[in-house]
Amino acid sequence: MATLRDIKRKIGSINSTQTITRTMKMVSASKLRRAQEELDKTKAYATKLEELVRRVVQKLPAGVHPLLTPREEVKKVLVVTISSDRGLCGAFNTNISLATENFIIQNRDKYERIGAYLIGKKAKEYLQRRKFDIVRDWTDIKKPDQDLVGTIASELISLYLDGEFDRIYLSYTHFYSPVKQIVMFDEFIPVHIDKGSNEESSDYIYEPDVGTIVKALIPKYISTKIYYALFESLTSEYAVRMAAMDNATSNCGEIVRHLTLVYNKRRQESITNEMMDIVGGAEALRGT
Amino acid sequence: MERLNLEIITPERVVVSEEVDMVEAKGALGEFGILPGHVQFLTTLEIGEICYAQGTQSRCLATSGGFAEVVDNKVTFLVDTTEFAEEIDIDRARRALERAEKELKELAAEEKEYKLYELAITRAMTRISAASKKL
Repeated sequence: MATLRDIKRKIGSINSTQTITRTMKMVSASKLRRAQEELDKTKAYATKLEELVRRVVQKLPAGVHPLLTPREEVKKVLVVTISSDRGLCGAFNTNISLATENFIIQNRDKYERIGAYLIGKKAKEYLQRRKFDIVRDWTDIKKPDQDLVGTIASELISLYLDGEFDRIYLSYTHFYSPVKQIVMFDEFIPVHIDKGSNEESSDYIYEPDVGTIVKALIPKYISTKIYYALFESLTSEYAVRMAAMDNATSNCGEIVRHLTLVYNKRRQESITNEMMDIVGGAEALRGT
Repeated sequence: MERLNLEIITPERVVVSEEVDMVEAKGALGEFGILPGHVQFLTTLEIGEICYAQGTQSRCLATSGGFAEVVDNKVTFLVDTTEFAEEIDIDRARRALERAEKELKELAAEEKEYKLYELAITRAMTRISAASKKL
């Protein structure tokens, strides 16, 4: 049975935990706000590029570019998973790692090889423990930048073009709103463009020619997609961490409230006991 | 009068989003100009300057390449990086130019870095020339 002093100490320790979680929540909130702003700015480029690619690809006959043509036989697939380097962000990393794990387990029999290309320490730790085939991992990415994204993109492209893998999936956390993030799992390479029933438009004048432009455009599209996914993931991480820390802070409050109640009860009890002793003693003395 | 809706966008931000009268830039086949009523047009952009005119005023930016698209009087430049002429640090560009030129002299033409430095020189020269065109 915990003594009064034990309880008091526990209350103190939980209070200081609460201070930490509250600070982390506020830090995440401000980081989230900044990340959200940057995400919005990046969005403009990503959506414009996507529109452009769609318009160009629509006009293109099938099989012009290897990155646009699905292979008939898909034997080896690669999953690109974006997680974070740091924990204390609720189920963020578990969700994204789980999506990859489930995919691998479910499709194990269908393909000859399923590789994982990981960004972020947490997914790496998770999948390494389960002995999956990890092709490459990137850790300690502070902030996504163009150089890094360019390297990743060209690595992925050459993995595909060299026949190392026949299809590449991209899995990341999509930032829907500060309270809602969804794990995305998309086919990534070969680039699949939803042709849809867009309005008829006259063809472009290309300079220098379609082939050259598509050759430059598709890798750009791929790297932009990665860049954008990294930002989405980062923003989601902050949002999830903020929510997790908010929860932790209020849980701390609850425990402190409960412990204070126990503490007061216990104190009352001990006072009552002492009183009884004194009264009992006094009674006994009067009897003589 | 018809005007062009110009947007210059980098992965980091939307740099320009304005109504303009004319746009000039350097494409894969040399410099081109766009006036209202241009046909649908798509080109890759080289390292060079983008200039646009609003009435009598004109502004210039230096860019490191990307794509340009014209559809229905909407001009969209998707570029990797770009700077307004006023924002360019001429001293820095000059230093970059000197450094690249020095490195280039020590390298043989077949080495991989040769191309990189050549590009660096083009970029630095573009920035210097764009900077001289500030308002």
